[in-house]
Amino acid sequence: MSADVTRRDVLGTAVRGTVLAVLGGATAFLVKKANGQIVWQVDAARCINSRLGENGVAACNLCTTECVVPLSAVRAVNEHSRCGRCNICPAYFNITSAVNEHGYPSEKLCPRDAITREPIGKADPEDPANNFYEYVIDESKCDGCGKCVMQCKEPLGLGSIKLRVRYDKCVNCNRCSISKACPQDAVIQVPVGRAIEAI
Amino acid sequence: MQYRHVATIGGQFKATLSGLAIDAHGHLYAAGDSEIRVFDSGGQLRRRWATSRPVLSVAVAGDGTVYAGQERQIEIFDASGKLVRTWRNQKLVGRVTAIGFCGDGVLAGDTWDRAIQRFDRDGKFLNTIGKDNPVNGLLIPNGVVDFGVDATGVIYAANPGKHRVERYTEGGELLGHIGRFDGNDPAGFTGCCNPTNVAIGSALYTTEKAGPRVKAYDFNGKLLAVIATDLFDTTCKNMDIAVDRSGRVYVADTVKLAVFVFEPVKA
Repeated sequence: MSADVTRRDVLGTAVRGTVLAVLGGATAFLVKKANGQIVWQVDAARCINSRLGENGVAACNLCTTECVVPLSAVRAVNEHSRCGRCNICPAYFNITSAVNEHGYPSEKLCPRDAITREPIGKADPEDPANNFYEYVIDESKCDGCGKCVMQCKEPLGLGSIKLRVRYDKCVNCNRCSISKACPQDAVIQVPVGRAIEAI
Repeated sequence: MQYRHVATIGGQFKATLSGLAIDAHGHLYAAGDSEIRVFDSGGQLRRRWATSRPVLSVAVAGDGTVYAGQERQIEIFDASGKLVRTWRNQKLVGRVTAIGFCGDGVLAGDTWDRAIQRFDRDGKFLNTIGKDNPVNGLLIPNGVVDFGVDATGVIYAANPGKHRVERYTEGGELLGHIGRFDGNDPAGFTGCCNPTNVAIGSALYTTEKAGPRVKAYDFNGKLLAVIATDLFDTTCKNMDIAVDRSGRVYVADTVKLAVFVFEPVKA
C-alpha cells in the first residue's frame, strides 16, 4: 500500500535535508579546525604590502593593530633563496633618508630594528659596496607592520619578504580579527598542508 | 639639457621586449618574444625574423651582421635576417642579456657568470670582464648584465648592486667608475640596484627601475639631464636603451611593450 505524498511532506524533507547538510558541513569544519587542519594564513597575492602593482602607497599595518596576540601572530619572513642580498636593501634602509658620509642612507626602515645584516662570502674591507649581505629578521622583535614587505616588493626589491602567520603564536581564532579588518580579504583559512607549503 | 618625447613604437610585441640596438643607417632593431624586428627612423616596421629561442638582446655590427643573445646561445644573422651561425659554449654562453663590439671583439653580457665575455669574430673566447673582484662578478639582483662601449673602446658596465657604472678596458682592467647611491638627488641612483641598463653615445645614458627613470651623464659622471620619468609603466624594469648618431634616445618599456623615443631639445 502506498501513502499519498503531500506538498508539506516534500517541503519538510527538503528543509530537514538542508538543516542536516548545514549542520554536517559546520560539524566537519569544526572537527577539522579542532584537529588543526585549517589555519589562518596571509595570501601574499592579495596583501597590499606584497601584491604586485601596489606601489607608492603606505604600508598597511592592520596585522599589527588588529591581532589579539601581543605584537601580532603575523611576522615578516625573508625567503633567502629569493633575496638579492643587496648592498643597499630598501627593506633594511630608509632609502629616502639623507645619505651619510659613507654613502649609505642614514636611517633604517624597521621601526623596531628587527632586521640585521652581515656580509657573506668573500668580504671586501676596502669597499663595503663590493659585498653581498644576508638579511635576517629577528621575529621576536617583528610586529608584522609590513613596511619592509612593501619596500622589498618588485620592482623596488625582489619580493623576498612576505608576511606570514606564525603558528607558534597564532591562537587560531574562529573569527580572526585581522581577517575581519583586512580590506583585501588577504587573511584566509587554508588547509594545514597549503599553509606549510607557503612558509 | 632637456629632452622631449617624440614617438612611441608599440603594438608589435606580444610578451617580451628585451633589447634594442641601432644600426649605421639609424634603423632600430628590437629583440622581443622570439623575433628580431627592424624599424626605420619613422617607426615603421620594415622586416622581422624569428630566432630559435626567446631573444634577450640584440646588436648590429658595422657590416650589418646581427647578433641575437639568448639563453645558452648567440644566433648570428646576415643583414637580411638569414641565420649564418650559432655560438654555443656550455661554460661561456649562459644567459646573454647584452651584446656589443669593441674593436674586433664581440662582447656578451652573461648573467649566469655575472660578467662580460669577450670573443673574437669567429667566436673564439678571449677573456672575461667584470669578474676580477671580491664578489667574483657584477652585482645584478635584477638579472641583467648590460654595457656600452665608447669610441675609444672603453667598456661601461652597469653594476646596479653598487649603484655604479664601471669602466673597463677590453682586457678586463677596471679603470674606475661613476655613480653613487642617492634616494633623493636625481644625480644618484636609487633603490636596491640601479642603473639596470646603459648606452653610450655622445653621453652616457642610463635607465633605472622603481620608479622608472632615464638619464644622461657626461663621462665624468656629471648629470646632464633627466630625460624621462613618466610615460613608463611604474612596475617596469630592465629597460634597455639605445641612442643613435643624432642623439635620439630609444627606451624599451618592458611592461607596456613599447619603445619610447626622445630627442634633445635644441636651445
